[in-house]
Amino acid sequence: MNQIQLTINGIPCRCEAGVSILEAARQNGIEIPNLCNDASVRVYGACGLCAVEVTDDGNGKPIPKLLRACSAKAMDGYVVSFDTERVNQSRKIALELLMSDHTGDCVGPCKLNCPAGTNCQGYLKKIAAGDYHGAVRIIKEKLPLPAAIGRVCPHPCESNCRRALVEQPLSIAYLKAFAADKDLADAPYRAECKPDTGKRIAIVGGGPAGLTAGYFLRQKGHRVTILDAAAKMGGMLRYGIPAYRLPKAVLDREIEEIAALGIEMKNGVRLGKDITLSELRREYDAVILAVGAWSSMGMRCKGEELSGVIGGIGFLHDISSGEGEAPDLRGKNIAVCGGGNTAMDACRTAIRCGAENVYVIYRRTRDEMPADALEIEESIEEGVTYKFLTNPAEIIGENGHVSKIRLQVMALGEPDASGRRAPVPVDGKFEELDVDLVIMAIGQKLDAQGLDGVELTAKGTIAADTATYLTNLPDVYAIGDATNRGADIAIAAIGEANRCAEVVHSALSGSLTPYRAPFVSKRENVSADEFKDRVKQARCEMPTRAPEVRRHDFDEVNLGLTDEIAQKEAGRCLECGCHDYEDCKLIRYANRQEIHPERLAGLKNSHPTERKLVCIERNNEKCILCALCVRVCEEQAKKGILGLVGRGFPTAVRPEFRDPSVIAGCKDCRKCTDVCPTGALKFIEQA
Amino acid sequence: MSYRILVGEGSCGIAAGAAKVYDALRPLLADSSVTLGVTGCIGMCWLEPIVDIYEDDTLKKRLVRVSADHAAQIAAACRNNTLDALSALEITEEDSAFLTRQTRIALRNCGIIDPNSMESAVKAGAYEAIGRILRKDGGMRPEAVIDCIKTSGLAGRGGAGFPTWFKWNAARQSAGEEKYLICNADEGDPGAFMDRAVIESDPHTLIEGMLIGAYAIGAKEAIVYVRAEYPLAIKRLEAAIAQAEAAGYIGEHILGSDFSCSFRIKAGAGAFVCGEETALIESLEGQRGMPRLKPPFPAAAGYWRKPSNINNVETYANVAWIINNGGEAYAALGTPDSKGTKVFALTGKIRRGGLVEIPMGMTLRQVIFEIGGGIRDGKQFKAVQMGGPSGGCIPESLLDTVIDYKKLGATGAIMGSGGMVVMDESTCMVSMAKFFLDFTAKESCGKCVHCRIGTKRMQEILGRIVEGNGKTGDIELLEELCAAIKDGALCGLGQTAPNPVLTAIRYFRDEFEAHIEEKRCPSLACGALLRYRIHADQCKGCTLCAKRCPVGAITGTVKSAHCIDAEICIRCGQCHTVCKFAAVEVY
Amino acid sequence: MKCDCKHQNSDLSKLGPILSAYAGIPGSLITILQQAQEIYGYLPMDVIYHIAEATGNTPAKVLGVATFYTQFRFQPMGKYLIMLCDGTACHVNGSEKIAAAISEYLGIGSGETSEDGLFSLSIVACLGCCSLSPVMMINEDTYGSLTPEKALEILKEIKDKEESDT
Repeated sequence: MNQIQLTINGIPCRCEAGVSILEAARQNGIEIPNLCNDASVRVYGACGLCAVEVTDDGNGKPIPKLLRACSAKAMDGYVVSFDTERVNQSRKIALELLMSDHTGDCVGPCKLNCPAGTNCQGYLKKIAAGDYHGAVRIIKEKLPLPAAIGRVCPHPCESNCRRALVEQPLSIAYLKAFAADKDLADAPYRAECKPDTGKRIAIVGGGPAGLTAGYFLRQKGHRVTILDAAAKMGGMLRYGIPAYRLPKAVLDREIEEIAALGIEMKNGVRLGKDITLSELRREYDAVILAVGAWSSMGMRCKGEELSGVIGGIGFLHDISSGEGEAPDLRGKNIAVCGGGNTAMDACRTAIRCGAENVYVIYRRTRDEMPADALEIEESIEEGVTYKFLTNPAEIIGENGHVSKIRLQVMALGEPDASGRRAPVPVDGKFEELDVDLVIMAIGQKLDAQGLDGVELTAKGTIAADTATYLTNLPDVYAIGDATNRGADIAIAAIGEANRCAEVVHSALSGSLTPYRAPFVSKRENVSADEFKDRVKQARCEMPTRAPEVRRHDFDEVNLGLTDEIAQKEAGRCLECGCHDYEDCKLIRYANRQEIHPERLAGLKNSHPTERKLVCIERNNEKCILCALCVRVCEEQAKKGILGLVGRGFPTAVRPEFRDPSVIAGCKDCRKCTDVCPTGALKFIEQA
Repeated sequence: MSYRILVGEGSCGIAAGAAKVYDALRPLLADSSVTLGVTGCIGMCWLEPIVDIYEDDTLKKRLVRVSADHAAQIAAACRNNTLDALSALEITEEDSAFLTRQTRIALRNCGIIDPNSMESAVKAGAYEAIGRILRKDGGMRPEAVIDCIKTSGLAGRGGAGFPTWFKWNAARQSAGEEKYLICNADEGDPGAFMDRAVIESDPHTLIEGMLIGAYAIGAKEAIVYVRAEYPLAIKRLEAAIAQAEAAGYIGEHILGSDFSCSFRIKAGAGAFVCGEETALIESLEGQRGMPRLKPPFPAAAGYWRKPSNINNVETYANVAWIINNGGEAYAALGTPDSKGTKVFALTGKIRRGGLVEIPMGMTLRQVIFEIGGGIRDGKQFKAVQMGGPSGGCIPESLLDTVIDYKKLGATGAIMGSGGMVVMDESTCMVSMAKFFLDFTAKESCGKCVHCRIGTKRMQEILGRIVEGNGKTGDIELLEELCAAIKDGALCGLGQTAPNPVLTAIRYFRDEFEAHIEEKRCPSLACGALLRYRIHADQCKGCTLCAKRCPVGAITGTVKSAHCIDAEICIRCGQCHTVCKFAAVEVY
Repeated sequence: MKCDCKHQNSDLSKLGPILSAYAGIPGSLITILQQAQEIYGYLPMDVIYHIAEATGNTPAKVLGVATFYTQFRFQPMGKYLIMLCDGTACHVNGSEKIAAAISEYLGIGSGETSEDGLFSLSIVACLGCCSLSPVMMINEDTYGSLTPEKALEILKEIKDKEESDT
């Protein structure tokens, strides 16, 4: 055979004469993007993704037109590129155009709304099948603390769960904790680490962010040391969250699993006191600051300096961890100011310390409270009194100690920037409560001690780049509550840590690659109508200990799910995310370069999903009209059941639809589903 | 003294009432020595119906805008030999200049011979060229025919302008016994009709040109792919093929030679993309007319994957003339880059619209102003659109561009198949760009992504601009899409679809900006952007506008000036239409 | 395209001569469809299936071809087919306004048939009568130099004639 030589993207290639450029690349292990090509059928040339530029035709001349690599023959001496600006632009527009007429959810709303991008649909499917180790393997691709997070996460996944359009969202968070508990109980899944790279990374802060960053960087083969000022690792999970929500033993087990990857963990090391940032920078190849936000914010209200006025975080610190004695609050009246989860933890902890009356002072109403609804419910069950639409005006002391709190009565006005209705004071209306202790739980801020030379934001948080996580110092990264917008939920810090680990890894591997949010296709305006045929199945209830029992101790409130209930609950998943997401060529190419299909938004073809063919569900809204199914059905299966109907933009792939005998002619040869580059065709296993 | 009356019966003439004139004349001449016949289209569309009166072979009178009511007058004048009595109907000298400035090769017999009569065609020289080629002694070998075409410099007249000899030679060189010669008569450019005129007026010229092509490449079968919307053309071509077959010009051993060739007609079914040669082949094979990837080119693997040659009607219509007069004679016309003549369909806001065949090298100004007589209704010239959906508009400043493939290409427009649509100040260039994108988006076959979705998106963006919803950045977005579609589309339809938009932006960017930024249509053509106001000094208070206004936006009492409430006004323009005092201004 | 279940009883024997005339001639599908449409005025579904079977094509293939070309119709046509030209010349000279007027008057868009079954409207590319633009053809007759008013008058005349005939 006559061999020829050419260059593709700078790589010297050899192939037989007469093959296409696409095939020549393939034979040399190079993939030129393509969507409508398959070796089993004739060349078609529709998608245009395989466009290449020939800068030298072998005689020193460029070919002026872009060529389709699927049809253009490879010629001796060709210098071919598919990464020139012109080709990239052509491919970008093609992908943007395709995406502008592509309707589907790459991933379900659960995963899409998880700040860490946890693949909920994936692990729910495993749980439904009883494969808990498998579920945890999927979870731990993004999140190394599922038993802890599953117990405490405010679960944006559930808030966005589309099952709510049928009846109620899935109990995703508890299912995650359930699977993780099962996994930990018996031969837990443990990730493998790459061979040692010799790079050393110091992570300051052993909370969820620091642990997660360490977990993923260790897997890349780097040597990780986590330093923490506290006695034990866990950060807010340990010192902020009370044991009745997250038992310390569970947290310990998960941290053990992380440490088991070979991560050095040093406790009792405070930055700025026991070690300085410059020392760390000298000793390590990279430093990640994940120090958290540990100071409670003040309320800027008169009397704040009185004894008996304390911060929520400080109040919880020793009690939550069990490292300190729980104070005896018997007979005392406590005011907790704030409406978030820290306020919840504080008020419920106060109840458990025996307090007579615990008031939650919140300036809006229950509907506006940022705290988890279930926690509010449970706290009321436990005896907490809510003072909605009130705001501390003054803390009144007696002999230097708090005795009363004066509350300004509020009313709701117009919605503010956050969309919530802003509370406004009602002129001259006040209320007073007798209190012995005031706990301020209105927010946390960074304690910037030891962060010498690190630039802070106006808010007093560490200024970190949102794509590289870099601070102003070239080898110092920062993530989590300590940065930018300040304290957020744990899963948000975990997501940042995960992405930061990728960036740090890229930087240590020689070239820093900033994080870029992956492009995903999303459906808009999904309505309940779509699910009206679904059988309603109520959300599982988490059994809890009775309020009158649990209010006296710090044992876990939740009693946990059974296998049967968990599997049934997981089976409620609607599987909103595309079945083909992992294999989809379209989304893979769409993420190789930055695309913005929204700028080309326009009419989309809309089609109902149909099951006219045996075994095959067809979703034409995901179809990109590569016609591979039509061609493979005709050329390979020799059936010709599918055809292109119509012309131009409204063209659609259809099987003929009247004569049942022809449809029966579709055997489950799967050729069309195998060859479909997107999730438009789905093979349905027959029962 | 015997007169022969010819009524011009092209589709256009018939539409204007030529058949009725013929029908009215016939009984009036039944018992006279005056003969009555039909001819095809002379190309002076604005004067239809046209009746020519010949004495022997000399044109004595050309009567224009004739109606059936004139029949008696015409019949009487011919019978009584008083042709001068018809002077009121006679064409003016000024209008005659339309023809005298032309050089007619492809159209040489159009409007002169009877398209239904073989005898009439032969008398005008039909089949001389093929006779010359197939002559037993001193005939021409296929190579010599191709050489002659090469010398002539004839290029494909369908739009791309590819050298005809090269395609013929490639098809000739391709291995295989079975070859096909195809005529693309799927004239789809909305604004071009020269191919239809040739088939309707002089079908034998097409047949002869195709015979010569078939002989040159070695094809035994010739196929004409005609638009289904051209029923008269199909009818006349069918008849002509039957006549030529009977006369031995089609079939086995033509004129006693070894050359055999059959002919057939295939009617298209309505798809502009089938003007693209590989889509046309797919359609001929009974498939969806979706273009194939090239290579292979049809010359190597075309119809049924056999070597095939495709040219359009006008190209073939030149061939016999070239053989008869020599390639040099043809090459003597035109410019160094573009030889011979080109037929244009001159239409739009032009005073004298019709078919124009001129040598390459004339300027656009000469064609539009000297032949076409300039803009009608006293308006200002704005642009001329050439090449239809694949072409572009050329502004006033470039009117001295000479007609030549390269020079026209440099303007961003193309020679195209010959549509030349003239626009005046009242034509909105944004709206025209949208018109063409509406067309291409509708005609896109849907195969390749760039064209299927890209033209749709361009159409949508242009749509929002003319509706007054354009956004800053839309021009740049259009330009970006245009560039990508040109680069990425599979076939000529898609690759050239951006041209109308690109040229409109290039020459009339200010109009786009006015639509987008000021929500104003400078040509006062885009309904959604128009505003109406009543001039108090001109308003007589007749109340007509207020009565007609469908939304009650106009207030005022009898004999006092009226007023339009812009908030209520839906811009329907009724007030402007009904006002007898021109008091309603559109702005 | 919807399944056209109302029209399942076409006299398929009429297709016989066409099918036998083109039997075994490759590439004849479009021609067969064109002639079938001549017979039935449109392409009823059972005709499409019959042609598919007789020509050895799958119905998907025949439908694919038929739906690609604008000439083919899948619904019966009105007694009068209005072909309104929207070629460049007609467009420049105001065919859009005429289309709007006709659509409003008959209550149908392009490709549709009026409820009384009298008119079908089809907006077509260039009829080739550019000098008479704007132009429409109603069945065999051509009407040129139209204005919206003129176009409606022509339609009214036909309507009145039809009404007085019945």
